[in-house]
Amino acid sequence: MPALTALRGRDPGPLLLGAAVALVVVIFLIYPLANGMLLAFVRNGEEPGWSSLTLANFARFFTAASYQRALWNSVYSGLAATLVATALALPMAYAVARVELPMRGLLCAMSVVPLISPPFIGAYAWIILLGKNGTITQFVAQTTGWTLPVIYGPRGVILALALSYFPYVFLIVQGALAAGDPHVEDAARMTGAGRARIIRTITLPLALPAIAASMLIVFIKAIGDFGVPSILGGEFQVLPTLIYYQIHGFFNLNAAAAIAAVNVLLTLLAMLLLAWVNRKRAHATVGGTAAAAVRLTNPGARAAANVYCWLVIFVAILPQLVIAIASFAERWPGTMLPVSYTLDHYRRVGSQLLQPIVNSLILAGVATAMCIVFGTVTAYASARGRMRARWALDATIMLPFVLPGLVIGVAYLTAFNTGPLVLTGTALILVLAYFTRRVAFVFRTVAAAIAQIDPKLEDASRVCGASWGATMRRVLVPLAAPAVLSGAILVFSTLIGEISATVLLYSARWKTISIAIYELVLGDQLAEASAIGTITTVMTLLLVLAAGRLAGKNMADLFR
Amino acid sequence: MPPAALSVRDLTKQFSAAGPVVTAVDHVSFDVGSGEFFTMVGASGCGKTTTLRMIAGLETPTSGAIRWDGRDFMTVPPQQRNIGMVFQSYALFPHLTIFENVAYGLRLRNTPRAEVERRVMATLALLRLEPYAQRHPAGLSGGQQQRVSIARALVYEPSMLLLDEPLANLDAKLRVQMREELRALQRRLGITTLYVTHDQEEATAVSDRVAVFNHGRLVQLGTPEAIYTCPETLFVADFIGRANFLPARLDDRAAPASGVTFADGTRLRPQRQVVLRGDEAETLAGADDSVVMIRPEHLALHATAGDVACRVHRIQLLGGLIRYRVVAAVSPQPILVETTRALAGVSEGGGAWLSIPAADAIVYHR
Repeated sequence: MPALTALRGRDPGPLLLGAAVALVVVIFLIYPLANGMLLAFVRNGEEPGWSSLTLANFARFFTAASYQRALWNSVYSGLAATLVATALALPMAYAVARVELPMRGLLCAMSVVPLISPPFIGAYAWIILLGKNGTITQFVAQTTGWTLPVIYGPRGVILALALSYFPYVFLIVQGALAAGDPHVEDAARMTGAGRARIIRTITLPLALPAIAASMLIVFIKAIGDFGVPSILGGEFQVLPTLIYYQIHGFFNLNAAAAIAAVNVLLTLLAMLLLAWVNRKRAHATVGGTAAAAVRLTNPGARAAANVYCWLVIFVAILPQLVIAIASFAERWPGTMLPVSYTLDHYRRVGSQLLQPIVNSLILAGVATAMCIVFGTVTAYASARGRMRARWALDATIMLPFVLPGLVIGVAYLTAFNTGPLVLTGTALILVLAYFTRRVAFVFRTVAAAIAQIDPKLEDASRVCGASWGATMRRVLVPLAAPAVLSGAILVFSTLIGEISATVLLYSARWKTISIAIYELVLGDQLAEASAIGTITTVMTLLLVLAAGRLAGKNMADLFR
Repeated sequence: MPPAALSVRDLTKQFSAAGPVVTAVDHVSFDVGSGEFFTMVGASGCGKTTTLRMIAGLETPTSGAIRWDGRDFMTVPPQQRNIGMVFQSYALFPHLTIFENVAYGLRLRNTPRAEVERRVMATLALLRLEPYAQRHPAGLSGGQQQRVSIARALVYEPSMLLLDEPLANLDAKLRVQMREELRALQRRLGITTLYVTHDQEEATAVSDRVAVFNHGRLVQLGTPEAIYTCPETLFVADFIGRANFLPARLDDRAAPASGVTFADGTRLRPQRQVVLRGDEAETLAGADDSVVMIRPEHLALHATAGDVACRVHRIQLLGGLIRYRVVAAVSPQPILVETTRALAGVSEGGGAWLSIPAADAIVYHR
C-alpha cells in the first residue's frame, strides 16, 4: 500500500512491509469497526444480511426515554465539562505564558498528572472527599452544619471530567501562547494599546484556534469516558454506560452497536470540527522569532498568578493525593486525615491482587511492542510516502485513537465473537484492542520525528551504497529511536490503567488492574483499590518522566 | 546637531534570570536630535536592540535615565509614549486585514471613522500598499509585509520611529532598495528615527549619525564619515568597512607623531595618532607597541614602482571593485588592496610594489 520512495527501486522490502501494514489495517481496524457498524442495523439474534437490515436499534433513540436521556446526558455533561475545564485552564495558560512564575516547568509537569492517571481513580477519590461520609462533607457538616450537595449524578461527573481533562486546554493553549511571535503583542503595545485591550483584540483572537481545538479534544474525551460516569453517575446514564449495560445486562450486541454508532457520530462531528479548526490554525501565524515574550513581573500579577495556578493544580491532583493517603489509612472515619495508618492494604494487594498487576503489565507490554513495530512503519510510510491516499492511512490510524474505548470494545466483541476469527475471552483480543486504541501515539510522535529528519540523509546513505534496509537500520532507526521510545512509554503507561475497552473484553483469567480497582470500588473496598491505584499512578508517572527524559522534552510537551 | 529630542544617560540593563548577572547594556549615553536619523550598529548581542527596547519601554532599565523633550520617559508606560515601532519579524496581526492592521493605532486613539479611513488609505498610498488593503498579512511578500509594519507605525503620527533590524529578513537587492525608500520617507516626514542594524554598510548608508556598540558599550558615536575615516578603536576600524592592521614599533615613545618602523625596517609617519585604552591597549604589550591601520582603497599597487616589494596571492573581481591580496615583509598578515581598475602587469602569483600613503594611515598606540 504505501508507495515508499524506494518503491521506484526494485527492493522488495518496502513492498512486503506495505502489504503487511495493509493486512493489519484491514483485519484489526477496518473489519471490526465496519462489522460493528453493520450489526447496529441488524435486530438482536438475527444474522446480518440484506434482508435483515433495519433501523429498529436506532428507533429507541426516538422511543425509549432512557436512550434519549443518555444521549442528552452525554452531550450535556460533555459540554459542561468542556466549559468548566476551559474556564479553569485559560487563566492558567495565560499566567504561565505571560507572567514571570518561578516554577513554570514544575507546574507544566504536574498538570500532566490528571492525564496519565486513569480518570476513574480520580472519580472514586471524589467519593472519599465528597461522598456521603466523605472527608470534606463531614468537615463542612461538623463546622458549619451545612449539608453539601450529593456528589453522585451530573454534578460529580462534570466536576471529575473537567478536572481530569482540563490539562489538554491548559497545555495546548499555553503552548500556542508561548510559540506565537511575542513581538505582535509588543507591536500592539507600541501603537498604544493597554494590556486588557491587547488580550481582547490580539492575544485571544490569535489563541482562538488553539482554544477551540483543545476544547474539542476535551469534549471528545469526555463523551467517550466510561470510568467517571460509571462510578459517579448513579442514575445519571451516558452513552458509554448505556453500552456497558446493554452488553453486561442483556448481552444485546446489536443495541450496543447502535448506541456506539451514535457515540461515534458525536465524536466524528467533533473531529470534523477539529480538522476544520486545525486547518485555520495552520494559517494563523506569520513569521516568528526566537525571542521569548516579555513576562509580567509586577508583584501583584505574580502573586495572583501563583495562587491561582497552584490552587488549580492542587485541586486537580488532590484525587491522587487522597488515593495515596487512603492506601495507607487504617481508620479514616470522615476526619481530615486518617486516624491510624497501616501497610495492610499493600500486603493484601501483594498476596491476593498480584495477578491483575502482572496481567496488565503483560497485556500492555505486548500491545506496546506491536504499537512500536506497526506505528513506526506506518509513520515512515506516512511521512516519506508519495501515495495520494496518505490521508486515508492517517485517518484510519487516528480514528480508533479518538473513538471511545467502549466503541472499540463493542467492535471487537462483535467482530471476533463468531466467524472466522474467534478471540473473545483470550488475552489476544485485549492486546489487539489496546494496540488499535494506542498505535496512534507511536504513529504521531514518530511521524513528527521523521518529518524533522532531512530525506537527503537517506539519499546520502543510498548513494554511499547502503540498501534500503541498511539505510533504515543505520540511519533512520537510530535518529528516530528517541521518538519511538517516548511514544512507546506513553502507550505502555496509559494502557496500564485502561478501562473502557477492557471492561467489555476481559475474562476471568485476564483481569487487569483497572478491572480489579473497578470491582473493589463497586464492592466498597476503597482502601485496597487505593493501594493498587497508587501503585499504578506511581508506575505511570515514573514511566512518563522517563519518556520525557528520553525525548529530551518536558513531560508536558508529550501531551501537546 | 539639531536640539536634542531624546536624551539617554548612563543607561544600563542587567539580566540575571538564569545564573550570573549579564550586563547587556553598560552605561550608554547619547542624544538624538529632532528629525535626526540615528543608527545603533553592532554585532548580535552587543546591546543595541536592548537599548532600543528600553527606549520603547518594552524593557525596564536597571539604571540610567531616558528623557524625551526634557520629560522623564521612564515613568511613562510604552503605550503612552506615542512611539511607532517596526520589528524584525514585522509582527503584523495575522488575524486582521492590512487595513485593520494599519488602523489599529488610530482606533485606539478614538479617531472618527471617516478620519481613520482617510488616514489609513493615505498611509497605505504613501507606501504603495493600497491594492492590498483587504488582504491578510500571510498573503503578502516579505517586502510588502515590511511596508505594512512601517505604515502601521507611522499612521498615528508618532513623535519618534523605532526600527529594529527592519530589513534583515529581505533579500539583498530589496534590502538596498528599501533602505533608500526608508531614508527618503524619513526625510519627507522629518520624523526622529532610531534604527538598529547589524549591517555596517546599511548603517553608514542611511544615517545622519551612527553609534557603534560592542559588548554592551557605546564605543564610538559620530557621522558615518567620521566613523569611517577616524575610528577611535581597532574594533570600530575593523567593524566599519575593511581595514589592514600592520604591527609596528614607535620610533619615539615620547613623540608618537615622529613615526613608526615595521618588521622589515620600512618606516612611515602616519598623519594621525590615536591612543588606545582598556583591552585593546593590552594587545599591544609585546615588542610591537603600535598598529598602523590603513583602508584597502587607500593603498596603491603598481607593477614596477612603490615603497615595498610584495607578492600577489589572489585577485578577486567584485563587480566595480578589484581586490588584491598581497603578501609583503612589512606585515605578517596578508594585506588587502582595492582598486576600481585592473592594474596592468599585476597577476596572481607575480610580484608587485605596494605604496602606503602616510596621509591616510592612522597609528594606534598605548
